[in-house]
Amino acid sequence: MTVTVGDSPSPPRMLVGCVIANQALCREHFRLTLRTEAIENALPGQFVHLGPPSADAGDDVSRKGTSFAPIPLLRRAFSIAGMRLVEGDRCDIDVIYRVVGTATTWMASLRPDDAASMLVPLGNAFPVSKGKKYAWLVGGGVGLPPLLWLSEALNRSSRSVTAIIGARNRDLLALTFDESVEIPVDGYSASRVSAEFAANDTPVILSSDDGSVGFRGHAAAALETYYSRAGVAAGDLVVYTCGPELLMRAVARFCLDRSIECHVCMERAMACGTGTCQSCVVAVHEAGSPDGWRYELCCTQGPVFEAGRIVWPDSGGGVQH
Amino acid sequence: MSSSLSPEGVDLSVQLAGMRLANPVMTASGTSGYGPEYAPFIDVSSLGAFVTKAVTAQERKGNPQPRTVETAAGMLNAIGLANVGLERFVTEKIPFLATLGIPVIANVAGHDPDEFAMVSARLDEIPCISGVELNVSCPNVSGGLDYSTNATQLEALVTTVRPRVRRAALIVKLSPNVTDIAEMARAAVRGGAEALSMINTLSGMAINVDTFRPLLANVTGGLSGPAIKPVAIRMVHKVYSEVARDAGVPIIGMGGIQNWRDVVEFHLAGASAVAVGTNLFVDPTTPNTICTGLRQFLADKGIPRLTDLIGQLRT
Ligand SMILES: Cc1cc2nc3c(=O)[nH]c(=O)nc-3n(C[C@H](O)[C@H](O)[C@H](O)COP(=O)(O)OP(=O)(O)OC[C@H]3O[C@@H](n4cnc5c(N)ncnc54)[C@H](O)[C@@H]3O)c2cc1C
Ligand SMILES: Cc1cc2nc3c(=O)[nH]c(=O)nc-3n(C[C@H](O)[C@H](O)[C@H](O)COP(=O)(O)O)c2cc1C
Ligand code: FES
Repeated sequence: MTVTVGDSPSPPRMLVGCVIANQALCREHFRLTLRTEAIENALPGQFVHLGPPSADAGDDVSRKGTSFAPIPLLRRAFSIAGMRLVEGDRCDIDVIYRVVGTATTWMASLRPDDAASMLVPLGNAFPVSKGKKYAWLVGGGVGLPPLLWLSEALNRSSRSVTAIIGARNRDLLALTFDESVEIPVDGYSASRVSAEFAANDTPVILSSDDGSVGFRGHAAAALETYYSRAGVAAGDLVVYTCGPELLMRAVARFCLDRSIECHVCMERAMACGTGTCQSCVVAVHEAGSPDGWRYELCCTQGPVFEAGRIVWPDSGGGVQH
Repeated sequence: MSSSLSPEGVDLSVQLAGMRLANPVMTASGTSGYGPEYAPFIDVSSLGAFVTKAVTAQERKGNPQPRTVETAAGMLNAIGLANVGLERFVTEKIPFLATLGIPVIANVAGHDPDEFAMVSARLDEIPCISGVELNVSCPNVSGGLDYSTNATQLEALVTTVRPRVRRAALIVKLSPNVTDIAEMARAAVRGGAEALSMINTLSGMAINVDTFRPLLANVTGGLSGPAIKPVAIRMVHKVYSEVARDAGVPIIGMGGIQNWRDVVEFHLAGASAVAVGTNLFVDPTTPNTICTGLRQFLADKGIPRLTDLIGQLRT
């Protein structure tokens, strides 16, 4: 049976967040912490739709602020990387982002006490299967943030959790390294080198495409190596993955071939984030429909999908992605 | 400017082709789903009217993704009229819309006049549907022509639909991708349109310079958002002064509206009501903040009724 951690998420609200911190984690990655009204319940996998604070009625210049960074028009989606109740009735929301364009450049310009507007919490959550003794979190690049928060939740549910995290190279790994820990390179020894995961009692296997840190190869290859040595029965294991679509596809294929339960956190171009614009479609199998597939919305029916439901791009069948 | 008028004393209501709107601000088709999606953020029944996503006879999957991309002060979309189709719209979406107690306008699209007429006629039977808005900006696949850019075709389309819509208001949504939008407005009015909504998106395209590929899977898309507002204002002004005022056909103005100032511009140019599209993605509460701003503006100006503003441009 599949149940989510805790209760079902609270309905989304539009909230103003006050910047508490905006800290560089590595080259290109930052962690932004926003303080806002308490949100009763949000779950790992859910995201925040973030943008500049709205203009007041008619005040069409206030959006521009004083910043010289171009201001994005639309909001952008970011997985919630962590959330804490503070000061009794407030909460801090962390997002970890990579600077790739207009909106993330604007985000990098935010300073403490600046404001940002959020629609939160949005989307569904990672389902947590009861009866799975092992949970492995496989992520790459900006797929790391939701897995960090998931490791916190899974740690509370007391199962054996391992993170397998890859990046192109060491400079792009948005993790804090414990310098006293030696980083294994074999792809099957997990260590407590990441302070973030260690805080959630989650050992981690690191990989990099160029071998500059940990196992040389992408995270799906590390998963394969780890699985071959871990001696874990497929039925006892659940894999959660988030990252570049090619990585998730490889992880999904690996799991599906072995009947391992697997959930993927998808990314799509989004405009509304709330199910109105039909921008963020993901093709899923649908037995019984004339074409055998249909679209679901990443923003409201995702971003988390069971790996076997997704029609991956090379699986044919005339699916338009 | 000082006046004794209070914001609460301002009358924002408008009559529009037989519909009574408590305020002039509606949603633009395709930007607010079928209603429930924005309910967590805004009291949907506080809108002047609700306009649905396009409804076609059959369910449509729409285009491959990416379907949207942000561009300077706007966005491109190529959704491809993805919608649940007429029957699911009636059974799954109408129940919520029927509870709103405000005018609901169904946006209708089709491949040929018969599909437009069939869908419109079916929707006309549903009590909570107060208006049918024809989205004529889709290519006429059979004839290779586009209803929105050919006046003869457009008039023929509206003429075909006209007798099938007996109760609801018949609205024709005009495309800006034409040489002379007044000519298209005239054709729509001759065909029997009771109101004109304008503008739909402007044809556009954007390219990824790293990959040399278009940013939208569909290659081209429709531009919306603040970038198109001056185009929309000028087109509303032209259609109002050359066609709509004399014909007594009201205009629903849209294109890039973000705030009450934008709305005042549209009213001055000749719009009787307005719709917010892209900015709902930015801030779903925009219609409410606009109404608050409009009341304050009209009170400050000493103008008791919003309708006193329509077409008051001084040239
Ligand atoms: C549900 C969901 C959760 C997400 N969670 C996160 C998160 O936790 N952290 C995070 O950093 N991002 C996350 N993203 C992605 C994030 O929304 C985009 O990176 C963001 O929209 C970029 O906005 P921008 O304006 O800076 O870039 P844009 O101006 O929109 O894009 C600039 C260019 O960069 C490219 N680009 C976009 N994203 C990436 C990327 N990730 N890597 C390389 N090139 C890219 C685009 O194709 C474009 O060519 C998530 C997306 C979704 C849908
Ligand atoms: C994502 C999206 C979907 C749209 N879908 C429709 C549609 O189904 N039917 C229609 O008549 N117009 C559609 N439009 C056009 C809008 O209703 C509106 O005319 C246009 O976007 C200009 O207004 P705006 O700048 O406020 O968005 C769509 C626009 C967007 C951005
Ligand atoms: S982003 Fe608009 S429907 Fe998903």
